Amino acid sequence: MIAASENTGKKKDRGVLYELRRHRILYLMCVPGLILLVMFCYIPFAGVWMAFTDFNVVDGIFGSKFVGLDNFKYFFSENSMGWKVTYNTLVINFWGIVLGIVVPVTIAILLNEIRGKSFKKLTQSMMFFPYFISWVVVGAIIYGIFSSDVGVANGILGWFGIEPIRWYSEPKYWKEIIILANVWKWSGYSSIIYLAAMSGFDGSLYEAAKVDGANKLQQIFRLTVPMLKPTVIVLTLLNVGRIFYGDFGMIYGIVGNNPVLSEEVTIIDTYVYQSMRTLGFSYSTAIGLLQSVMGLILITLANGISKKVNDGEGLF
Amino acid sequence: MTKNATLPDRLVTGFAYLFISLFAAMCLYPLLLTLSVSFSSEQAIARNGYSVIPQAFTTDTYRYIFANSGERILRSYGITVLVTIAGTLGGLLLTGMVAYALSIKKLKYRNVIAFICNFTIIFSAGLIPWYIVNVNYYGFKNSILALIVPSLFNVWNMFLLRTYFAQISPSLYEAAEVDGANHFTIFWRIALPLSTTAMLTVGLMYALQYWNDWWHALIFVNDRDLFPLQYFLYNILSNVNAISSGRIPSGASGSITLPAETVKMAVTIITIGPILFLYPFVQKYFVQGIMTGAVKE
Repeated sequence: MIAASENTGKKKDRGVLYELRRHRILYLMCVPGLILLVMFCYIPFAGVWMAFTDFNVVDGIFGSKFVGLDNFKYFFSENSMGWKVTYNTLVINFWGIVLGIVVPVTIAILLNEIRGKSFKKLTQSMMFFPYFISWVVVGAIIYGIFSSDVGVANGILGWFGIEPIRWYSEPKYWKEIIILANVWKWSGYSSIIYLAAMSGFDGSLYEAAKVDGANKLQQIFRLTVPMLKPTVIVLTLLNVGRIFYGDFGMIYGIVGNNPVLSEEVTIIDTYVYQSMRTLGFSYSTAIGLLQSVMGLILITLANGISKKVNDGEGLF
Repeated sequence: MTKNATLPDRLVTGFAYLFISLFAAMCLYPLLLTLSVSFSSEQAIARNGYSVIPQAFTTDTYRYIFANSGERILRSYGITVLVTIAGTLGGLLLTGMVAYALSIKKLKYRNVIAFICNFTIIFSAGLIPWYIVNVNYYGFKNSILALIVPSLFNVWNMFLLRTYFAQISPSLYEAAEVDGANHFTIFWRIALPLSTTAMLTVGLMYALQYWNDWWHALIFVNDRDLFPLQYFLYNILSNVNAISSGRIPSGASGSITLPAETVKMAVTIITIGPILFLYPFVQKYFVQGIMTGAVKE
């Protein structure tokens, strides 16, 4: 039968089943992975309906009372922390994106200027260390630095005759602490991506620049930085597309569920988790859905921009 | 660098050495601090605060921990090791198979499958529906499977692996196909052995992800016997954070076990112990793997 259909030569007319059978092993190899995606990414979509209801366990997801957009309205109302947590998320992510470019790019450029091989290797592996530890461990380290009685920070303030600060009771410092911890954790890792991009640069350009009498600073700002631009743009767009998504582990690892600090550091993701306990499933589902929709819009826009700037190269 | 480098050039190089040294020191400093405190005596720390040089060097803290909660820690270690091994091997196999299939150009519906994967990155149902499905339908409350299965298939890792597999010349596969090998055999016997750096890199990413995961435990696990290491540490720390913010009056702390300063740092060191031993050796391959993966992107 297969031989017969091959003789007709009309490849495009062969059905889906034919293709599935012909490459059945390849398709079968995809099945376990796809099952997991369906289980953990696609089936939960049914639960999104909860966002439009007043969910209670007895009536179930589809039996509970339909309330339209009430849950969303509450998020933006005066009573809820909605605006506050959105603001926190955006501020923390904005600085995460800016510093997450400036610091790793600086590291990569400077590492490139260093000739000592063993020095380079040693410092690079030192800078890679934070990538390997969890946010809980980062939380322990931050405790070591900012604990009021034994922490390093108050010790340093003491040298300058400044009164010790009770960091864990002062919410105002924690956005900055979290932003810095984020840069600290990722810079070494991210710099590798820029180093990789730089290793692909044409060396003869630098030779030509040298012949023309350009010094190192000029080479960095006239050659390296402009050539890094496409990489920077792609990574920035990717991050801007995810600006409404916070890092749950980062916040909870560093401040835990400390209620004193929550005002300043609660982001959308941690708010959803906390609301699940206090304000119910429907409301927290609604916030999550809002976040996803905003994310979808932004990432689609970012992808479009990326295609424009990078000659048709999208983010995906 | 030539010997007759101009002054501005030497300044740039000098600045590079200075900046990189400082930043590298900053990255490792907290580790030294933690290590030092874990080997210091509690009284000295309470008196002088934390320092990078151990004060009144002692291993008492570690002995204290193992005498009091040694069993608990070993159990958590067991959970973490089990989850990490199962998750890494399972994750590599599942993502590897999909990545391999998607790297075969003649697979007609590979774009459909890639889209099914991609879509999960850009749009999701959110935490709550995901949580309800896991708990109500898959029975993941207080189950060790909850720590493994949901993160077994990482789409980013899959696309990273596909990038590597796509670099293998298809002619190698064709020769094997002519000899009658099916695609799973080709994947297992040809593609995998040719991609050891890639498998090592992605394997490490999975291993780190599982070793460092405590979020799934926070969400799904109440049973102390199932606490992975990181979550064990999280509990010790969050208890203490609550106290230092003044939420729990210190007079009422009789019923709460108050881990002392050195204990927290010692548990931190115990938690990252294997990483400390392994990371100097593996980071080289890791850098290599990420470099090649990133360039071809």
